[in-house]
This record gives sequence, structure tokens and C-alpha cells, in this order.
Amino acid sequence: MRERSVNNTRPLSPRLSIYRWQPAMIASILHRFTGLVLVLFVPLYLWLLHGMTGTAHHFADVTHWLHSGFGRLSLWLVGVSLMYHFCNGIRFLSIDAGWGESRDAMRNSARLVLGLTALVAVLLAVLLV
Amino acid sequence: MNEKTTLPVKLPIKEPGAAHSGLSDWYWQRLSAVVLAVLLPLPFFLLVSVYGGSVDQQGLLDLLDHFISRLLHTLLIAALMIHVYMGLKVIIEDYVHVAGLRVCLTGAMLVVMTGFGIWWLAIIWAWGG
Repeated sequence: MRERSVNNTRPLSPRLSIYRWQPAMIASILHRFTGLVLVLFVPLYLWLLHGMTGTAHHFADVTHWLHSGFGRLSLWLVGVSLMYHFCNGIRFLSIDAGWGESRDAMRNSARLVLGLTALVAVLLAVLLV
Repeated sequence: MNEKTTLPVKLPIKEPGAAHSGLSDWYWQRLSAVVLAVLLPLPFFLLVSVYGGSVDQQGLLDLLDHFISRLLHTLLIAALMIHVYMGLKVIIEDYVHVAGLRVCLTGAMLVVMTGFGIWWLAIIWAWGG
């Protein structure tokens, strides 16, 4: 029962309430957040896929929905999340492989990934508006 | 920062946990990540092509019905399920501190995920989903 006291006071991970906010930490928490967004998009994608492979009428409904405000917002959100999760995933893999493990390298690569995602977010917004 | 008082004196760090191994999950998460890095952008581009009008319904069906496409899609679904299971499990383990709730949530996630996986396969292999 020794573990019980640990369980009740376990801090949030990454240690949001304890450590100072840093690029590498923001990269880590955003990886989780964008992963969650991508998971939540799967049911929506299946609904769209179901419509797109249905009758011509269903297909027209789907394209109509995609062009609606909510549809375009969804496309933007999933595109940005995919871009971020993709780039940061490669960053994580390279860190696992022992490449870019130093504190400075991790900080700089986090900044690079965040910058790239911001750029894609703006580009995608321009394309979708 | 006064975290010490709530932790037991000796943490059993040497024990790898109930699974008695940490390598398997770690390895599968990275293997599925590599597969997803290649395959996951494809459905997004497909959706954007439909949105932009460069792929009509016949073009979409031709793409989806191709054997290679079905094979890649099946691989994508398998990798996605492995990756999502491990990612969500870690998030649940970090933020849900009540053991009973944690087990229920992980189980529910597995059931819901399997359901969506089967629906997806049904659409791709045109069983009538």
C-alpha cells in the first residue's frame, strides 16, 4: 500500500505545474495534444469516407460540408495537427536514435518544429479561406 | 518543489512494472510511427484533393478500389491502431490517477478503437460499410 500516497499526489506529465515552460516541454505537450486531435478526427474521416464512397448525392453532400465553415476549420485543424505530429515525431525518432540529444539541440529542434508548423498553419489558412 | 515529503524513501525504479519489460511497447510505438509517417499524410491529401475538386467521385473510387491502395490502407489501419492504443494509454496513465477508472477507460478505448477499425476496413474492402 506504499504506492497509494504516490498515486494521489502524482504531478501532471510533462510537469506543467512544477517546471518552467521551455521549448522542448511545449513540443512534448503539443505532441500529445495534436495526437489527440488526430485520433478525434478518425470518426469524422470515416463518416466522410462513408459519404464519399456512397451515392453521387452523398458525395455532393460531403464536398458541400467540406466547403462549409466548420468543414474548412476541421481541414485546417487536422492539417496543422498532422504537420506538427509528423515533424515532431521525426524529431523524437532522431532523438531516440541519439541524434540531437544535447540540451541545445533539443531546444533548437523544438523551435524549428514549432516554426515550421506555424508557417504551415498560416499557409493552410490562406489556402482554405 | 517540496515534492520529497510525499514520495517514499526508496522508489522501486529497478522493477520494469507488471509487464516485466518496457522494450516491446517502446519498439512497437516507433515501428508504427515510421509506417504512419509514410502512410498517414495520404488520406489527408486525398481529402484535400476532393475539397479542391481535383478528384471527382469516380477518380476517388478508382483510387480506393485499387488493390495496392487497399493493402496500404489496411497497413495504415493496423499501424494507426497500435500507435493510438499506446499513445492514448500513456496519456490515460499520466492523467487518470484512480486505478479502476484507468482500467475502464483503457478498456473502453480498446473496444471503441476496434469498432472504428472494423468500420474502416469494411469501407475500404467494400463489405458494405
